[in-house]
Amino acid sequence: MAGSANPAMTQAAANPYTQASQAQQAAMGRVAAGMGQTAAGGIGAYQNPYEQAVVDKTLRDVGGAAQIGLNTLGAQAQQARAFGGSRHGIAEAEALKGYQQQAMDKVGALRQQGFNTALGASQADLSRQLGAAGQLAGMGQQSFGYGQAIQNQQMQQGAMQQQMMQNLINAAKEQYQGYSGAPQQGLGTLLSSVYGVSPLQGSNQTTQFNPGLFNYMQLGASMMG
Amino acid sequence: MAKGGQEQKQSTSTLPAWQEQAYQQGMNMAGDVSQIGYVPYYGPEVAAFSPLQEASFANTDQMAGAFGMQGTGGQQYMPQAETFAGGVQGYSSAPTYQHAVDTLAAERPAQADYLASFGIDPVTGEVGSRTFRNQPFRLEMQPKPSSGGK
Repeated sequence: MAGSANPAMTQAAANPYTQASQAQQAAMGRVAAGMGQTAAGGIGAYQNPYEQAVVDKTLRDVGGAAQIGLNTLGAQAQQARAFGGSRHGIAEAEALKGYQQQAMDKVGALRQQGFNTALGASQADLSRQLGAAGQLAGMGQQSFGYGQAIQNQQMQQGAMQQQMMQNLINAAKEQYQGYSGAPQQGLGTLLSSVYGVSPLQGSNQTTQFNPGLFNYMQLGASMMG
Repeated sequence: MAKGGQEQKQSTSTLPAWQEQAYQQGMNMAGDVSQIGYVPYYGPEVAAFSPLQEASFANTDQMAGAFGMQGTGGQQYMPQAETFAGGVQGYSSAPTYQHAVDTLAAERPAQADYLASFGIDPVTGEVGSRTFRNQPFRLEMQPKPSSGGK
């Protein structure tokens, strides 16, 4: 019933965790209260307020019937010239006893019916309230689940966004490393090409002749000859 | 060998000019590159949490609060993220790194100077005293000058 919903809960609808907490607390409170509660305690609230009137009416009816019966019995006793006699007295006592028993039976039945009706209503109400408490707890659990689902979604999507940002940062950092490491990169390229080639070694052999005295004498003889 | 004379032979290894040039230039370049020193990175390194993540954190707080449990109370654990060029939100280790460098210079200045002497001064460009070109050398493997005569 919307009319009996807790206004505080409807105001806090924006936060499922608050809903869950309130629902759980309310359910726990109701269940805890119900643990020591009996249906008999609520009977008074369900007893027919007109029961006494019905009982009174029944008693009056039975009393009226008894009076009529006694009157009839008196008339019959008068006709039999036994009015006021012992037989009349015995007959009246028996009749009254019957009427009293009838009145007690009727009142007892009315009282028992009232009690049973009130007890049933109280039991049903207790069960309904405890069931509603259980349902409230379930709804609180559901609200908690909503909150968790939304929060997980937030976390997942947020992590995706953060990862995108991180990727952007990593890309920029990689470029920076390329920039600051460009001299080493260039040097590496140069060295691998220069030192990767086997040294093209060659050799120059020079012969130097230093003439001696005999050589000069030989030279002079040849010039004179 | 002719009689009375002395013949002396001398061998020298040679390289093609282009290769010799490349060797020398390569060594020179390596020397220059070795002077660069450490080049720190001042840009962002770690991405900040996204607003959705922040919202999720706040919701965790609210969840705890709704059940009477302790939350952060709005207390921030992470430092304030910086906004870098291009709208990138994140954190840089540069301030922490710089603080460590400054602390070293303050606590152990000789060691810091020694480290710095292997590269150029990153501000003035002055070449450090222990860079490649300032290292002492002595040639010991060159051919000795030719000794002619008798």
